[in-house]
Amino acid sequence: MTHYAIVGALLFGLGLVGFLSRRNLIIVFLSTELMFQGAVVNFVAFGRLHQNLQGQSFALFLLAIAAVEASLALALVVLLFRRKGTLDVDVWRTMQG
Amino acid sequence: MSADALAYIMYAVFVLGGLGIYFALPQEGRWPRGLPWVLGLAALAGFLVVLGRQFAPGDGGGFYWVLFAAVAVFSAARVVTHRRPVYSAVYFVLGVLAVAGLLLLLSAEFVAVALIMIYGGAIIVTYVFVMMLAQHAGRPVYDNRSRAPLGAVLAGFLLTATLCGAVADGIAALPTEGYFDANFIVAPPADDGPVPAGNTAAVGATLLSRYMVPLEIAGVLLLIAMVGAVAVARKHVPSTELDVLAPPTERPLGEAGRQAKPFLPELKKV
Repeated sequence: MTHYAIVGALLFGLGLVGFLSRRNLIIVFLSTELMFQGAVVNFVAFGRLHQNLQGQSFALFLLAIAAVEASLALALVVLLFRRKGTLDVDVWRTMQG
Repeated sequence: MSADALAYIMYAVFVLGGLGIYFALPQEGRWPRGLPWVLGLAALAGFLVVLGRQFAPGDGGGFYWVLFAAVAVFSAARVVTHRRPVYSAVYFVLGVLAVAGLLLLLSAEFVAVALIMIYGGAIIVTYVFVMMLAQHAGRPVYDNRSRAPLGAVLAGFLLTATLCGAVADGIAALPTEGYFDANFIVAPPADDGPVPAGNTAAVGATLLSRYMVPLEIAGVLLLIAMVGAVAVARKHVPSTELDVLAPPTERPLGEAGRQAKPFLPELKKV
């Protein structure tokens, strides 16, 4: 299972790079979906390693959470775009406090 | 190959890939266009050769693993580094298909198909819709400049190296013999009988017995998210009666960004 876990870790790491470095709000949230995928691969791989179905069950719950996250995040993106007319993350620096 | 040598080769491959990602991220500097491709593809090839050599025989590896892992990692890198959001979404779909292939090799058919339907079908369509709604004229600057690319690549490298080290250290102590038949897609049954059904029924039984309450809570969560998304992103379309009672200028300040032109302007004159 090591190679599956490492592929999951790579997907998660690439998603983190995109989340930290891209400035387009939509790509930022797409990167979080990439991290979800890495987590799904790991859940299923370890579920198979331990020879039970909990990994697959949790992967399905993860899909539901991903759908929730995507819908709310994209609603926020639409709202923010309507306020300032741009998708640039740096425009919202004032929210850093 | 000793474990230490394997670890050092893997770290070298990760450094190579990290450099490739760094040069591929959209930023101001000018370097040859082929540089990130050469670095990234070399890292990918080294990764696959090392891991394939080490783990491929049996254990759910082999040709299909190499294929799906290569496509998944490559398209993930393109999602992160592509300068056009729509192309990122398309590469994301490619990555979803590859990850679904990996899940099939792990004999998780139901999760694989659910992944394709939810990600490739629902979520990506929503993303593309939002891209169309929130379109910017031309090629905006925020797609062509990254924010702190070096720091991001370093953070990603550290995280990936730590995860892989932990995986390589801890996983050797665990049992490795699979209970489920992982390779029935690669090697179908010898006689002409039906392909084994896998464990979809078992997953369903688990969800509806052991995880009954969490399943219901997930449904409620989805409903809440739907209501919340509508509430967050709704546009206020003033109706004629309300406008007579309270003109748009007298509404609370927070509502100002949500104003839209009414659908039926001729009704307003009544």
